[in-house]
Amino acid sequence: MSARHRIRTIYWKELIDILRDRRTLVAMIVVPIVLYPLLMLGSVQAVSAQGETLKEEHLVIGTIDEQDRDRLLRMIEADRRALERQRNTMEASGEDSSELPAPLVVDRVVALGTEEALDQSVKTRQVQAGVVFSDHRLIGIQHYGAQVRVMIHADNEEIRSASAARRIDALVGRVNDRMRQARLSAERLPPQFFAPFVVDEVDLSSPPSILGQILPLVLILMTITGAIYPAIDLTAGERERGTLETLMVCPVPVIDLIVGKFLVVTTVAILGAALNLASVTATVYFGGFDQVIARGGESVPFSTMVLILAALVPFAVLMSAIMIAVCSYARTFKEAQNYVTPVILAVLIPGGIAAFPATRLEGIMLVMPVGNMVALTKEMLLGAPIAAWDVALVLLSTTLYAGAAIAIAAGIFGKESVVFADAGSFRSLFARHQFKPIETPPVSMGLLTLALLFPLWFYVQASLSPDEGESAAMLLYSSAWLMGVLFVALPALLLAYRKVNVASALSLRMPSAKYLLGAVLVGSTSWIVTHELAVVQHWFMETPEAVMRSAAQMGEALEAMNPMMVILLIAVVPAICEEILFRGFLLGSLRRWGGRFAAIIASALVFAVFHFFVFKFVLTATLGIVLAYMCWQSRSILPGMIAHFLHNGMQVSNIVAPQWRGWVGLPPSTDEAGAWAHLPLPTLVVGGAMFVIGLGIFRSSTKTTEETAIPVIAEGTSG
Amino acid sequence: MDMVVADNLVKTFPNPDGGEKRAVDALSFSVQEGQIYGLLGPNGAGKTTTLRMLSGLMTPTSGSATLAGYDVERETVEVKRVLGFLTANTGLYQRLTARELLLYFAKLYGLTDQQADQRADSLIDWLRIGDFANLRCGALSTGQKQRVNIARALVPDPPILIMDEPTLGLDVLSNRVILEFIKRERDGGKTIILSTHYLDEAEDMCDKIGLLHDGRLVAEGDLASLQARSGEPRLSSIFLKLIHADEKVEAITR
Repeated sequence: MSARHRIRTIYWKELIDILRDRRTLVAMIVVPIVLYPLLMLGSVQAVSAQGETLKEEHLVIGTIDEQDRDRLLRMIEADRRALERQRNTMEASGEDSSELPAPLVVDRVVALGTEEALDQSVKTRQVQAGVVFSDHRLIGIQHYGAQVRVMIHADNEEIRSASAARRIDALVGRVNDRMRQARLSAERLPPQFFAPFVVDEVDLSSPPSILGQILPLVLILMTITGAIYPAIDLTAGERERGTLETLMVCPVPVIDLIVGKFLVVTTVAILGAALNLASVTATVYFGGFDQVIARGGESVPFSTMVLILAALVPFAVLMSAIMIAVCSYARTFKEAQNYVTPVILAVLIPGGIAAFPATRLEGIMLVMPVGNMVALTKEMLLGAPIAAWDVALVLLSTTLYAGAAIAIAAGIFGKESVVFADAGSFRSLFARHQFKPIETPPVSMGLLTLALLFPLWFYVQASLSPDEGESAAMLLYSSAWLMGVLFVALPALLLAYRKVNVASALSLRMPSAKYLLGAVLVGSTSWIVTHELAVVQHWFMETPEAVMRSAAQMGEALEAMNPMMVILLIAVVPAICEEILFRGFLLGSLRRWGGRFAAIIASALVFAVFHFFVFKFVLTATLGIVLAYMCWQSRSILPGMIAHFLHNGMQVSNIVAPQWRGWVGLPPSTDEAGAWAHLPLPTLVVGGAMFVIGLGIFRSSTKTTEETAIPVIAEGTSG
Repeated sequence: MDMVVADNLVKTFPNPDGGEKRAVDALSFSVQEGQIYGLLGPNGAGKTTTLRMLSGLMTPTSGSATLAGYDVERETVEVKRVLGFLTANTGLYQRLTARELLLYFAKLYGLTDQQADQRADSLIDWLRIGDFANLRCGALSTGQKQRVNIARALVPDPPILIMDEPTLGLDVLSNRVILEFIKRERDGGKTIILSTHYLDEAEDMCDKIGLLHDGRLVAEGDLASLQARSGEPRLSSIFLKLIHADEKVEAITR
């Protein structure tokens, strides 16, 4: 029975099981279909009703003395009459008067004697606001030089007081406007006299911008909510109900169990989130709220909701994987719930940062777990242009993180210290003395390390960009040093901690001489393959001028360096460090998990993604496949190191031997025409033949037969 | 032919005080094809831990074991293919019917849809599950659940059965059904390791008995040899004599 069949069997069983649970149905169907519309309708109507009430509320206003009280009452009365006249005039001429402000209506205005008494009354809410005039003279159109300050005393933390203050402020504004108009007409001056400039703002934001800020965060919560219950039920719930032991004695690899369960959690999370979204959408459209939540009074396009749904899938994948990993630690439902809470909070932090209006999908945000998905969704909603590579980077990094989470879950799920209370605590999972020496690193260790290294290495690369004004040499030194620490020292420490045989795990073996010959043949000719691929790629995807310029600048900087140092930094260090990480550590951990084809492709894709350069993705992935194949067949990273060294060395060979382009028949110049010229036929034929013969030496490996005959088990098996 | 071989098995668990407890200590025994081997002992003797190590659920701290020639540590998947495992505490999927549960496990063991249907039908018929085969497991009685559990353990028709307290908490009738079934399986050639507290049952059922105390095997043999060695007629008194229980009881009650 293939893994696909096993996963399908587990998937359907778990899906039926979870959908028969009343709690799932309530959380997935009843809550979104009944509760969300009710909440939304209720809260919007409550807010709207409260706003209307506050606008028309009869106020109680305090003043210091009776003069101020009378003055205020006269102002209010004059304003009421003016508004009444304006309304009558507009209605008589058939204009719409509904936009006119409501007059300020007072229940009473009380004179309180002193300013302290006035403030005290505002604080104790006996009056909603206080008004103090700075000058007792009545201001009329005849007193042009005078100005009276109107102080409004209010408690802005109290909604009714704040509303009263706003209404008094608006009243004073209206009085001011009328007096200004009267003075202008008395002097026969046009309205422009006081305002030679008028600001008129043109809002170019797309209609759903407010929605765009909020919805990604709502999306997080919807998806998490959908994933929590099934994740707990299918992991900790299995342990609590006593079915885990039964499951673990079946001849099914744990990774298959986890993948099956993960797919069910993802399905339920997507279904739940889709129902939530459909319910919100229906409430927005049929409830007439689309103009309320959009900016500028325009409706939210329906396509926006479809975009959100599309963004749900990778998001649900990541959240489900995280939830499964977290809940696999737990022995009981309650324990799992306790673990899930801090995880939700941890997830909301990057999600919240990404939802900030100023945050853009760039820099470290591109690889920030969860944050990058929220930022991507937000950019989509805002209609911002997004580069295809950025989308790919977000999706690939999310896939890597989800893969790591699933691998962790597979490493934990069903472990005896989780299944059996007497077999030790969770500390036993990480206690070094509990580990037995093993030959190959577990797949969970490989993927988790890569998931940790990915944002770190991205950050290193971004910080070492030439824009920082540092010299190219310094950047290369720093990069080489950090590569040594992150790609070699870190995995070596982890392997030593887990008691993994380092030589075996990293395939540090001396291969037979034929593989070394094959490596030399492949490494000295692989540049032909990547060069021709680059030329073909250039037809479809033209390399931007900026990239070419940057490459030329780097070339010039390298020419200024010691050639031996260039070889060391460009060819030797990456050949050692990258082979140890990608072909040794990563491929080693995948070796007994997914079979040869899947392991080689997965390691090559990760290798390409770690270069963070869209225009070299295909070339790097191709090279990754070749190097991984060589390592897999020879069970040694040495041939790959030799080939990698030679390949990278050829890239900088014009520094050591500038005449080499002529030797292979390429134009001497590396300008536009020179860079994208095909190699001459003789070079292609001879070089291509050497490459094929070199790879052919690896094909004839006798170890391959033994390798593929070994059942794919290892860590991924039950127990 | 020895279908089950345990060789010097040791399992230690961490103690809360930072030390270690030896749950199973240098345990060696073997079970021949077609035998019922009774692994008997008081609570905490290490029976369940031993059975979990044999079934690949726990990793031995040291020592080794094989089932049908497969190493329990290195060939876990193969070991699980030749094994039917049953305990008194085994849970069932409450929201699946008995038939759905059997079909699910049949498919996990690699049976095709048609084979799974046939196997489920024959087990339902044989263990008289028909009356409640289409009821959800959550609605079944303890005895019915245990019968479904036995059917689940037999789905792959494994040559070896490990049964940890299979009759615990069952009424007389259900108990009888299950004991009869175990005998029939043995007569059909299956190798069975049975762990039970009910020593009368063990006397009646087991071809060979291993008495476990504090993780160690204190005696092993058929009933006759144990009687001869201890001079006691019943298994319960043989057991008490071999572990010097009289002195312990006296010390506690004094």
